[in-house]
Amino acid sequence: MTNAENVLFIAVMVIYLITMLLYFFFVIFKKTPLAKAAGGFQAAGLLIHTAALVLRGIAAGRLPMTNQYEFATCFAWGLCLVSLIFIVKFRFPVLGAFSAPVTFLIIGYAAMQSREIHELMPALQSNWLGVHVSTAVISYGSFGVSFVLSLIYLFREKAKEGGFWDTHIPAREKLDLISYRSVCLGLLFLTLTILTGAIWAERAWGSYWSWDPKETWSLVTWLIYAVYLHLRLRRNWKGKLAAIFAVAGFVCVIFTYIGVNTFLPGVHSYK
Amino acid sequence: MAALKKIWRFLSSMQFAVILLVILAAACAGGSFIPQGLTLQEYASAYSERTASLIVALGLDDVFHCWWFIVLSVFLCGNLILCNLIRLPGLIKRTKRSGGKVILGEPTAAAEGVADPNQFFERFGITPKEEKDEDGRAVLYGDRHRAGIWGAWVCHLGVLLLILGFGLGQMTHREYTVYGVTGESLPVGDTGLVMTIDDFRVKLREDDTVSQYTAELTLTDTAKGLTESGTAEVNRPAELLGYRCYQNSTGWAAAVTVTKSGSFLQEEVLCAGEFLPVLDLPELVVLFNAFYPDYVLTDEGPATASGSIRNPGYLYSLYYLDPATEEEHMLGMNVLLSGEQITVDDYVITFSEPQNYTLIQIKKDRFTWLALLGGLIVLCGLVLALYLKPMRLSALREEDGTWTVKGECRKSAPIFREQFEKISGVTLPREQDSVLEQEKETER
Repeated sequence: MTNAENVLFIAVMVIYLITMLLYFFFVIFKKTPLAKAAGGFQAAGLLIHTAALVLRGIAAGRLPMTNQYEFATCFAWGLCLVSLIFIVKFRFPVLGAFSAPVTFLIIGYAAMQSREIHELMPALQSNWLGVHVSTAVISYGSFGVSFVLSLIYLFREKAKEGGFWDTHIPAREKLDLISYRSVCLGLLFLTLTILTGAIWAERAWGSYWSWDPKETWSLVTWLIYAVYLHLRLRRNWKGKLAAIFAVAGFVCVIFTYIGVNTFLPGVHSYK
Repeated sequence: MAALKKIWRFLSSMQFAVILLVILAAACAGGSFIPQGLTLQEYASAYSERTASLIVALGLDDVFHCWWFIVLSVFLCGNLILCNLIRLPGLIKRTKRSGGKVILGEPTAAAEGVADPNQFFERFGITPKEEKDEDGRAVLYGDRHRAGIWGAWVCHLGVLLLILGFGLGQMTHREYTVYGVTGESLPVGDTGLVMTIDDFRVKLREDDTVSQYTAELTLTDTAKGLTESGTAEVNRPAELLGYRCYQNSTGWAAAVTVTKSGSFLQEEVLCAGEFLPVLDLPELVVLFNAFYPDYVLTDEGPATASGSIRNPGYLYSLYYLDPATEEEHMLGMNVLLSGEQITVDDYVITFSEPQNYTLIQIKKDRFTWLALLGGLIVLCGLVLALYLKPMRLSALREEDGTWTVKGECRKSAPIFREQFEKISGVTLPREQDSVLEQEKETER
């Protein structure tokens, strides 16, 4: 790990922490300028995070997406990016108060991993690596956003009419729709992740699907979100039940990412 | 008859599809936690005997190939086929329908007394067509993203092709492995083909990590007299005589030489894990366990300090097979370094010429393209289903010269309504907080 990248990584952690605190203060003190400041810090953090990833990529001479640390930091980057897009697009700063802690947790998890740069084993030296992992980053980031949106949805039930939460959080119907859109983005990119992974596996191992634990859990995640989409078509499944399902879906995503790599041996385990 | 109809309706229903998806997801999750392909004894030592018997009896030792998993997949295919067949006529009808002149049922949003309806059409990117209704009043109408209604159908089709391609591939694919060192010619299963390893190189980086494995291969069809050569590397398989040849893995091999009373008796190249019975004393067997190119002895046993051949060490075991009892007795196990030899009575055994052997996987799957096509169709279907939101607008000129504009967009109703409000400047009634209503309905 280069010094510059190390400095930038620590800066990113500090900025994400400040962002999280500013969003918290915004919802505690109900001052809109705090939300704007938090948004500014989030954008700055994202830029510096991008620079840190670029520096690591240059130092490693490849895309920085091949081990648990690199994927964790990319995951945090993806979540930060997707949540910022949703905050701006739907003018919804409260989303930041829920997504910033998740981003901070993931970057914290990254900080606990080994940050050494290793040369790639031959199987990882493929152009598919970049496409496969980038799509996974966007997918996981989107599912992360749908997770926090669903939490907000469930939390909104308790909001008093005309109060801060009522005026700063979109109507439940719209929240449900935004969460749905986030799942759509995630599912589309998860499909791309599985497809590109299968093509790559076919080139590298001679089998596009071999029920490796990561493959299997990606399929489980895909199936769960497919069920979510089908159930939303049923009138009485929109809303609260769909939100609970989206939360469960993200638990599955986290297991696919951390649990599988840690507990289940396979070609994706980084032991 | 009524019962049959009921069963038919259930088998083609979304409810059944959801049940199947949940069971399949649970089965996959279970299959990833339970180690696959072990024997009953291995399960018994890992769990209890009762659990082991249960695992084997339920097919949980091979979840992804067991009968009930296949039956579930077949049911899913059947459900998808029925769903698509039932929906097809309606979709064709909706696609053929000329625009959205009349919005049936409850529109997503509506505005009355509009002076200029064109702003609605412009805002939603719809080019309006103009007609007269039965009463001679002007009607503007148009629609957008009609292809979006095909999304789910296309997605189902893709999943079907994917399962079909995968299933056919599993049933018909042919797969063989051969391993050997440079210069060896090896038969490829029962195909009549012969694989020759012309060369095998391991490219190391400065830090001794492997950069690439390269195998130069020639595949010969002796019956047809065909020969094709190519290079196989990790991530770059060779296509030879219609087979894909993958550089799968590698290990160490060494020449084992046996002399008797100073005279040459035999020499053979053994890959690690292979054994050699002595030619004129087959009861004496030497097993080549492992090779350490840069041998060091650590607290945990023999190891290698690097990947380069600096201090070669050959781990061997020597066995005597008793012909009377057919029992094997280990005579010894040790690491042999360069220049050292094993002496058993008149026999002297030496190891030399360490080299990498390569394991080549030779495969033919005629249905990979079908699975890939299915995957791409799923992707297209998802884009259509999730990102193309079919919307229709119609505007009717009233007697007072104003227009009544109605819009329909079921997939993105709240956003559509918001945009509609912005154009019309009127806040639409919020009476249908449908989500809330639906939840109340569920609770009831």
